[in-house]
Amino acid sequence: MTAEREPFRIPIGPQHPSLKEPGHFEFSVDGEIVTQASLRLGYVHRGIEKGAEQRSWVQALYLLERVCGICSHVHATAYCLGVEKLAGVEAPPRAQAIRSLVAELERIHSHLLWLGVAAHEAGFDMLFMHSWRDRETVMNLLEGITGNRVNYSANLLGGVKCDIDQRLADAIRAGLDYLEERTQHYLDVVLNDALFLRRTRGIGVMSREDAERLGVVGPTARASGVARDVRVDAPYAAYRTLPVQIVTEMAGDLQARFIVRVRELFETYRLIRTLLDTLPEGELTVRIPRRIPPGEAISRVEAPRGELFYYLKSNGSDQPERIKIRTPTLPNFASVLVLTVGRQLADVPMILAGIDPCFSCNDRMVAIHDTGEGRDRRWTWEQLRQHGIEVYR
Amino acid sequence: MLKAAARLLQRWTQATVTPEPERLDVTLDAADLVPAVAALQEARWGYLAAITGVDLGPEAGEIELLYHFCAGAAVVTLRVRTPRNQAFVPSICDSVPSASFYERELMEMLGVTVANTPNTDRLFLPDDWPQEVYPLRKDFRLEDAPLPGSDT
Repeated sequence: MTAEREPFRIPIGPQHPSLKEPGHFEFSVDGEIVTQASLRLGYVHRGIEKGAEQRSWVQALYLLERVCGICSHVHATAYCLGVEKLAGVEAPPRAQAIRSLVAELERIHSHLLWLGVAAHEAGFDMLFMHSWRDRETVMNLLEGITGNRVNYSANLLGGVKCDIDQRLADAIRAGLDYLEERTQHYLDVVLNDALFLRRTRGIGVMSREDAERLGVVGPTARASGVARDVRVDAPYAAYRTLPVQIVTEMAGDLQARFIVRVRELFETYRLIRTLLDTLPEGELTVRIPRRIPPGEAISRVEAPRGELFYYLKSNGSDQPERIKIRTPTLPNFASVLVLTVGRQLADVPMILAGIDPCFSCNDRMVAIHDTGEGRDRRWTWEQLRQHGIEVYR
Repeated sequence: MLKAAARLLQRWTQATVTPEPERLDVTLDAADLVPAVAALQEARWGYLAAITGVDLGPEAGEIELLYHFCAGAAVVTLRVRTPRNQAFVPSICDSVPSASFYERELMEMLGVTVANTPNTDRLFLPDDWPQEVYPLRKDFRLEDAPLPGSDT
């Protein structure tokens, strides 16, 4: 007879543990119940923080916007606001309003994307297809404003590149009307669909104390009754004159996380309409020096997944000394490791999807896999740049 | 909020700076880090937003660690310095369990030894990354990093 049983370990990942992004979880289980959880990241680590130290302040903007393919705009916004603070300049009111407008459109796109993926994890593929179809509405609007579906590149140091004219404003309003009607339907599904409720109600409960202790952010925190939102706590850009209503739920389970995100969409529609109605006239940019005065700045913005934290240090040159990025998914991951312990293994994918994790955000060398030569090569920035010029000549 | 934090941290404070209206930077000795963080946690003052490690370079010979705590609009940063050739700080995981991720990052990216941290595995860097090559140090050279998929 064996005296002590070795715990049975189940690796989940690194190939898409829930969303189609890489991360490696290891769960120890006793039967079907999870007894321990650990996490290994880095499968999409690109060395962006280090890379930014070797770029100019202007080049770093384009690099940082590529931290995340879903919430690229908030990264650029957090960075621009921080650099502007260091340089002692402020973007004009119209630019600030457009920053917030694009950020809210991005929130719609992100929440609808998440709703679809989370529905897919629950085995509800019809909802996945519907929400992704509807998401095309907001993708088209973003493309109309900025010319890009993702990595919109709306920001510049000192302002924005794109303007909103009457035609665009009308298109946005029409799009919102359609989306609002659809969101009403989604709210009905997450509140009332009997099968869906069996996968969400009472699952992955996080108490308010746990949410506060673990420092979770964004909709994950708000679904546990913690009213934490940077747009309200430390308003920036156009939110300084545009109060945001925080949406919270007390239940702290998966269903609450669904309800919070869907109800937040209605608030986002209201914010966008107000922004369009009150769009200030004026310039889109101010001049900003190429060399940024020495100093440190902390810049926080509310990404779709919660608080995005940037620390910037300047040494007075045209290159950043240090940039630290803390994305909302990192503190929320900590909650997954705690929340899954003591629960059914089958609930793990849903609990993981419930925080809306963004792996690329967390993982930040340029290595090119050259199948022709059959080995990996490393390119310098100059070589890579030259390659780009030759390919697109 | 900032005054409350200043009061809580008073015992260990060596110097304070207010770089912006809603910010307070408090310089501490590394040995006082654990009680200072515990004091903030016990008083339920905010949450740990991030730990930033800054290599001040081979000439300065020091690494600065910044522990950022947020409460609403207020941000308190605990600043600790440690010598570069023997970078060492105590773990704050006892009072802030979620600090584990940041401490793992400090260990692999900057080569800071974090005493008593519960998990010393790599978080971001690959398994075949060489020992004692720390990418966020200022004297890091790309030549020291392994080619992905190679045996070196």
